[in-house]
Order: sequence, then C-alpha cells, then structure tokens
Amino acid sequence: MSDYALNQVLYAKAREHKMTDAIGADEVGGYDLTPEERAALAAGDLDALFRLGANPYLIRRVFRRKYAL
Amino acid sequence: MAAIVAAAMTSHAPNMTATPAAAPVQRPRFLAGLQEMRTRLAAARPDVVVMFVNDHVQNFFYDNLPAFCVGVGGAHWAPRGAADFLKMPARQLPGHVEFGKALLKAGLDAGFDLAVSHELEFWDDVSVPAHFLMPEGTLPIVPVLTNCVAPPLPPPRRSWQLGAFVRRFVDARPAGERVALLASGGISHWIGVPNTGHINPEWDHWVLDQVRDGRGEALAELTFEQIEHDGGNGGQEIRNWIAVLGAVPGVKGEVLAYEPVKEWLTGCGAAWMHLQA
Repeated sequence: MSDYALNQVLYAKAREHKMTDAIGADEVGGYDLTPEERAALAAGDLDALFRLGANPYLIRRVFRRKYAL
Repeated sequence: MAAIVAAAMTSHAPNMTATPAAAPVQRPRFLAGLQEMRTRLAAARPDVVVMFVNDHVQNFFYDNLPAFCVGVGGAHWAPRGAADFLKMPARQLPGHVEFGKALLKAGLDAGFDLAVSHELEFWDDVSVPAHFLMPEGTLPIVPVLTNCVAPPLPPPRRSWQLGAFVRRFVDARPAGERVALLASGGISHWIGVPNTGHINPEWDHWVLDQVRDGRGEALAELTFEQIEHDGGNGGQEIRNWIAVLGAVPGVKGEVLAYEPVKEWLTGCGAAWMHLQA
C-alpha cells in the first residue's frame, strides 16, 4: 500500500524532530511512492498529503511551520 | 480492596508550554483549573496514577500499531525528543512495574487483548499534564494507551468497558492501595487536516455536560463518525475520558476549566469527578 510509504517518509522526518517546508526527491529515493505522492511532498502540499492518506498528526508535525498557528 | 481516590480528565496541547506568551487571557484561566486539579490530586494522596492517554505516532507507527497498550516500564520519558519544542527539560517519570504487569495480565484474562510496552516516550500527551499536575515527578504512572490517531480506532464503547475493567482490577488490588485515574486528551480539535485549528465549543459543552451530570455512558454511545464530525480528528481522544468515566459510572463531575483556545488549536477542558458525592 503506497500511503504506507508516504507515512514512512513523514515518520522518519518526525523522528528526527525536524520541521520542513518541503521534502524533495533527494530525500525519498528509497521509498515506494507514486508520482502524486512525490509531488505533494516536494510541494509541501498539506491538503494533498492528507487526501493521499498521510496521517494528519505526521503532516502537522513535519510541516508545522507552514500553519498559521 | 484498593481504592480509586481520584478521577479526573484534562485536555493536552503542546502550545500550553511551547508558546507561553500566547493566549494571555485564556492561558491563566485554564491553568488555574489545572492548579486546582493539582491541589485536589495531591490531597487524594494516590500511590499510583493510571493515565489513559494516546500516542501521537511517536511510539507506534503503522508497522505495529496497538489498539490498546499498557506501559509496564519502570520509567517513562516525558518528554525526551520533544523537550526543546515543549520548552521543558527532558525527564523520566516513574512507572509502576508491578501494578502495570498485574493490570496487563488481568486485562488479558478478562478478554482485553492489550499490547504491552516496556519503554515509552511521551510528548505533550503525558508531559504537559504531568508538568502542571505532578511537577515533582515522583508519583508512579501506569499509562494505558488507546489508539485515537490512526484509524480505524477501537469504538468508544470499548473504552467504557476498559474503564469498567480497571475499576474491577483496582477493587481486587491489595487493601490500602490508593489509585488515581487521569485522562489526557480532547476535547474538540482539528489537527493536520484541511480545517486545522477549528474548535467546536458547542460539542465541548455537551461533552462537559455529560461529565458533570454523571452521564458518561452517553459518550460511550458515540461513533467514530459522530466524533469526527462534531469534535474533529483530535476529538477522538475523548476515548481517554470515556475510559475514566467507565471506571466511575454515575459519578457526577465538576468542570474546573473550559477554554476554547485558538492559539492551542483545542477546546480545552479540565474536570474532576466527585467520587464521594
């Protein structure tokens, strides 16, 4: 299931307690992602990540600084 | 038999400590409620706190994700990696190995397929309530975790039953032991979803009304879909409250504080159950 890989990417980032605005292709080479998932990560597209099955708590943690609050 | 000497519930949010300058009016009002809870908890002189709480995908990932888990370790990190973010020192809070293992075994015997963890790292879920309610860090905590963040989730009814089981378990513990029950989570909040930051005070007040009037079972009747609609994905944490309420059915509660805090992205409630009433 591909959204598992998507969540793996976010979980790995969250475990490092690193926040970011985008996760580019250079960081996801080893993950089995769809082109749509890669694009959402590269754009830091919060709504797209949610729609693709990313866990909202992981989205929030990794991309926290993209939120107004 | 042992005794449940306290039962209480509170919301948690990282910004309660991470952004101390935010919400200058609401923050002191909510923290005053927690201060009152701290005073009452200390006066109850518990030997151990059973803390109903949820992971936020820090201990459990999709490779291994328990519906329910008992923390039996001798200590729990609260916080560790999130310390800088939460603006509090990393520290370990004591666990209660014997109590935790006994709870685990009794739960399995009673038909609750509990998972077990000997090492847990908490974020705001335990760290923030402990910071305000048990700052000394000396009271042993046995965490009982429920999956509230990675659907499918166990139904609220199961949390009610789990709380009722914990009540029976405490009843069978050695005389003289004093047990506090504390829930952490809720009330309404939307986190990491497209309408992040939304709060529904109307639903929060309905929840608190049930707590106040001793109608916790009304919360146990809720479905995942109802909670998601009215309380948001963060509202699913109400399972932790339901477990405490299931342990003290019919007992009336007192709302110590309620503040829908925009800067904390959470409808924040704190309530105390009047066990002797």
